[in-house]
Amino acid sequence: MILLSLSELIGRFHPALVHLPIGILALAGLFLLLPARGLLAPLRSSITPILLIGFISAVFSCITGYVLSGSGDYPERLVGIHQWMGIGVTVVTGGILLTRIKPSGEKWQWPLGIVLLLLLLFTGHQGGSLTHGEDYLMQPLNSMLGRDTTVIIKRKPLPDVQEAAAYAGVIQPVLQAKCFGCHSASKQKGKLRMDQPALLMKGGKNGEIIVPGKSAESEMIIRILLPKNDEHHMAPKDKPQATEQETALLKWWIDNGASFDKKVKELAQPEPIRPVLLALEHEEEEDKSIPNIPLSPVEQADEQAIQALRDAGAVVLPVAAGSHYLSASFFTSTDSTDLIMPLLLPLKRQLAWIKLGNTKISDASLEILGQCVNLTRLNLSHTPITDKGLAYLAPLNQLQSLNLVGTSVTASGVAALKEWKNLQSLYLYHTNIQREDWVELKRLFPDVILDSGGYKLQFLATDTQQVKASARE
Amino acid sequence: MTQKELHNERLIKEANEARMRMHTRRHFLKESAMGLGSLALGALLQSCGSGAPALPEAANLFDPAHPLTPKFPMFPAKARSVIYLHMAGAPSQLELFDYKPELMKLDGIECPPSLLEGKRFAFIRGVPKMLGPQAKFKQHGQSGAWISDRLPHLSTVADEISFLKACTTDQFNHAPAQLLIHTGSPRLGRPSIGSWATYGLGSENQNLPGFVALTSGGSFPDAGKSVWGSGFLPSVYQGVQCRSQGDPVLFINDPKGMSRDMRKASIDAINEVNQEEYKEYNDPETLSRIAQYEMAYKMQISVPEVMNINNEPQYIHEMYGTQPGRESFANNVLLARKLVENGVRFVQLFDWGWDTHGTSADGSLNIGFINKCRSIDKSITALILDLKQRGLLEETLIVWGGEFGRTPMQENREGKEMMFKGRDHHVDAFTCWMAGGGVKGGVSYGETDEIGYSSISGKVTAFDMQATILNQLGFDHEKFTYQFQGRPFRLTDVEGEVIRDILA
Repeated sequence: MILLSLSELIGRFHPALVHLPIGILALAGLFLLLPARGLLAPLRSSITPILLIGFISAVFSCITGYVLSGSGDYPERLVGIHQWMGIGVTVVTGGILLTRIKPSGEKWQWPLGIVLLLLLLFTGHQGGSLTHGEDYLMQPLNSMLGRDTTVIIKRKPLPDVQEAAAYAGVIQPVLQAKCFGCHSASKQKGKLRMDQPALLMKGGKNGEIIVPGKSAESEMIIRILLPKNDEHHMAPKDKPQATEQETALLKWWIDNGASFDKKVKELAQPEPIRPVLLALEHEEEEDKSIPNIPLSPVEQADEQAIQALRDAGAVVLPVAAGSHYLSASFFTSTDSTDLIMPLLLPLKRQLAWIKLGNTKISDASLEILGQCVNLTRLNLSHTPITDKGLAYLAPLNQLQSLNLVGTSVTASGVAALKEWKNLQSLYLYHTNIQREDWVELKRLFPDVILDSGGYKLQFLATDTQQVKASARE
Repeated sequence: MTQKELHNERLIKEANEARMRMHTRRHFLKESAMGLGSLALGALLQSCGSGAPALPEAANLFDPAHPLTPKFPMFPAKARSVIYLHMAGAPSQLELFDYKPELMKLDGIECPPSLLEGKRFAFIRGVPKMLGPQAKFKQHGQSGAWISDRLPHLSTVADEISFLKACTTDQFNHAPAQLLIHTGSPRLGRPSIGSWATYGLGSENQNLPGFVALTSGGSFPDAGKSVWGSGFLPSVYQGVQCRSQGDPVLFINDPKGMSRDMRKASIDAINEVNQEEYKEYNDPETLSRIAQYEMAYKMQISVPEVMNINNEPQYIHEMYGTQPGRESFANNVLLARKLVENGVRFVQLFDWGWDTHGTSADGSLNIGFINKCRSIDKSITALILDLKQRGLLEETLIVWGGEFGRTPMQENREGKEMMFKGRDHHVDAFTCWMAGGGVKGGVSYGETDEIGYSSISGKVTAFDMQATILNQLGFDHEKFTYQFQGRPFRLTDVEGEVIRDILA
């Protein structure tokens, strides 16, 4: 036992120790590239001792590295390559040392230096990938370029969940999505492998992770339920987390004895788990959150045009830090709106959200709004606009939300907007739309939330009554 | 010397003394140091060619002279405003949203020691008895949310709401728990959520404050005004408290014998004096003072119609159940809608009187609690529906909740049986809810055990709720900071996680 932990200790020196040969041999490699004559030539005499020290430290790095690779915390494939590259660096260093004993070896110095430097670079990079993860270097770059690198494994819907195998059909996909990344054939963090039934039941270096029939005592469930900031929490904070439903499924399976061959219908199904199981028959709910500004970037707006609009009393702001899209609201300049509207024109590509509620904007000015093609949210509530003005808005096919509450628009005016593909909500409370028009409108806008308003609350006697002390049971 | 002359002389002497006292050695040193220092700094900066950077981000920095200038958030906001309905005293989740049929079976049975070991309660002593749900529950809406018959109106809009069933806190007394939920710390001195929001976003409507606080229920929350205070942020960001009785703001109409011009002239005169004061002492708080006077004047003169709920149509009054002039939660809810409609960022309502220990009829689950529920049910439901029909619910986040929950045990103060049915303070499980503002409808997030004693999944802390509120307003709670006492401070300190599962 002591021997085991001693080797573990030695292994853990590897990530620190490797920096010695990296630094020392990089220096040696650079010196090998120095010209034989000139100002820096005297430095070449130090190459041999540097190489020797580098060689010794490389040998120690290899030993500690070999011990560490036995811990099983790293993916086998990467470790194998890294191991042989590391040995390669050491051998090449030894080789160069040998050539230096004979004076005739001098002419090979330059290419040897390059080989050594390249080997060092690759080995070091692989070591880095092992400790920090393969996407460690590229991740900031990708996020800078707006690329999303997280891999999401999509679950396939089950045709009939009751007939599905409880483990293979329900549980394994969860483990695959949330656990296999670190606990399967390629990587066994904590010496735990979860991709085969026998290994899953065997557990990791801290023992079994599943106690059949007792989810509350199963390490796997305990860890999933730990606070996210706890260092023992699984999956790790920065990795995709088990959802509430997935956790419920895992608990349910363990509580039912963690069987690998039974079908779902053979396991007891208490009330709370039923909807979760049934949901497995459908596609995974997709993340439907659509950004409320246009997706394509836009050039920066003219600062003077923004200032002119501000001076006219509008509040004009970027929708967020770093975005060129603008929001404009007219809370305090409600009277001479029509005179201000031409000021929007220089900003027509940047304006994404506009609030013109309670202003005196007229139909004619809507022609200007109709040119703001990147608008996603527009509030025209309680304004004197009519169907005539609404027709100008037809080009605004980015629009997601349009508020026409308290205007005199009618069903035919609204119907003209049915081509908008991105529209999500249309607010039509207190308009001139007739009761009989709603059916037709609902048909024209099948995917849009049409809000007709006019909600009434039931009158309940209890609303205004008080319970008195004497009324107690 | 006449009496009057004597009086005047004394006044002048007093004023001179006050001035002398102001000008201490410390002031002298401070001023001269600043003088010398700024000379040096000015010269230095000039040589570097540094001025204000011409980036648009520069406009977003804090400017003490215009603290309420509208500002933009970190990412595009889903919610433009927040209405936070705080039920001070902590309503019982077991009579409203957390349906526990198992607890009914245990009614009257002595609490097993395993539940009491290592736990501390505010009032429960010895071995209390379990208390079954004191209300009838039914599932409502397509989502099948459990809501009790105490809230018949709210039940009809269950599908608009995301329930947080497993809220937890670590404070079992009202004041610290309220401070924690509103300021991120159980101790005094931190800014409230609304102050953070106003500091980050300014006020979109320059005639109205960015953050308004309204109280009802006959008393302030136990933590006092600190729950809408600005803490270490400039005081201009504290919640502007409106009157809860009569007109929300005084002198919406000109008082008798006082013309509007005269009112403006007096405000101008006061501000001039304050400007002088600022020139002399350079205290930014003086600017806050000036800004507040101007804001008060604007609220009275420019937008009296916003501050006045009397002019709302009759059907709105019927919908909300408002009674203008009286102190009522419903009036505040209606006012909150009007404020949000006009660009106010954060409206914080505090309704006192939910502390149902069972010590009196008013503080009991079967009497006072029912009346409290009736006083909020209609207006909150009306708020959700009214915002919805005005197209404002999608950009207005409504948050409802108390500061902690209540025990599944009946309270036995001093180990004795109580006159009325009540529950003690409980930190391990309670329900809050959010609606609108980019939050999903018809969701129940989190779960408590069979008797509603502990949260078992989907735990939510005050920090998580704060992180979520800031997220909806467009702020990353981990990056939204204010430099104070040599370090950046956050609303959520070092904790908090956005509750992604309830976001649309």
